Amino acid sequence: MNDSEIFEKIKTIFVEKLDLDDDEFKLEASLRDDLGASSLELVDLVMEFEKQTGINIELEELNGIDTVGDVVDLVKGKIKK
Amino acid sequence: MCKGASFRNVRGCLNDYFPYSENRVCNILGIKYPIVEGGMAWAGESTLAAAVSNSGALGTLGAGSLDGEQLRKEIAVIRKLTDKPFAINLLVISPYFEECLKVIFEEKIDNVILGGGNPGSTLKWLKDEGKTVLCVVSSDNLAKMLEREGADIIIAEGSESGGHIGNVSSLVLIPSIKESISIPVISAGGISDGKTAAATIILGAEGIQMGTRFLASNEAKIHENYKNMILKSGICDTIVTGRALGHPVRVIKNRFSKRILNLELIDKLAAEKELIGSLGKAVASGDRKNGSFMAGQSAGRIEDILSVEEIISTISKDIEKILNIDEVFKDE
Repeated sequence: MNDSEIFEKIKTIFVEKLDLDDDEFKLEASLRDDLGASSLELVDLVMEFEKQTGINIELEELNGIDTVGDVVDLVKGKIKK
Repeated sequence: MCKGASFRNVRGCLNDYFPYSENRVCNILGIKYPIVEGGMAWAGESTLAAAVSNSGALGTLGAGSLDGEQLRKEIAVIRKLTDKPFAINLLVISPYFEECLKVIFEEKIDNVILGGGNPGSTLKWLKDEGKTVLCVVSSDNLAKMLEREGADIIIAEGSESGGHIGNVSSLVLIPSIKESISIPVISAGGISDGKTAAATIILGAEGIQMGTRFLASNEAKIHENYKNMILKSGICDTIVTGRALGHPVRVIKNRFSKRILNLELIDKLAAEKELIGSLGKAVASGDRKNGSFMAGQSAGRIEDILSVEEIISTISKDIEKILNIDEVFKDE
């Protein structure tokens, strides 16, 4: 999966799960302040990534996640490993 | 069609709970009854926790309001009062979280309950140190991740609970978590008697947790005003403050909590400021004007102050009667 495909997959999950418009999905958007996502919703999103991509994300890796860009970087790093 | 992994009949659920000698929660924790005292900052101190442990359940020191040295002193007190197992409940969002963890390691505490957020690397560290770790959760997905990272027991805390809460009620949360994981599930939220406890056992709980019920006990060292407010509460007399602040908390409705509810929508910082120390004011001085009297919806079903021993033995007997275990197991 290349970077663009990863981005699109994450975007699809975010837009559906958080009921966003496509243009709200911006790398700089804060999960909590801009998208209204709670820490539990982030866990739900992560489990959905895991289901769709087969990657395994640990709870520790969610600490410090603030923006959509942080999530994209985390998933990209995992998929490339 | 049920989304759950498998259908489990009532008998299967009873087999998970009875007999106590085979109950996984009892065996993991080394206790007689699969009952846990909910972690309560300020109110969950050593005397109450020791009384719960001495009655055959798991007493819990609530470390949410304690710094490291205060926790160490409380551990010393509880060890004088009981030689039975007890747990420390650590709030992940406490400013003293790291120093309390250090004390837990130094004092060789066996059982740790983690609540209040994502424990990050702490769970794995505790497991590497050989601790038994119970995690309080309000989501099935978080329960799955915590099981994967080594949790021993999941406490499924429904939104009926007092204090910090999630969004999902016990009726939905408990079976969903039970069907998602294989480690034992303890139910929390809304439990005050044998009837409510038995209902959660049928939903899949292998143990139960109570907080508010233990506040209404002789041994609870909270102000009389607090106990009286629990006794006088109806089932609609708790409200949830802090939703606008990102940390919802169920409290008994009073002038203070209603003021916070309005203020948090207008001025979050001012609301946060007013909340600082408000639980302490409720517990220590019964301050009805400035106190947050945390309690679950079960407050509306509690009508008497009992000893901890009476609470535990009555609930255990009532669970057995309601689920009619003599009848169910008569052929075994």
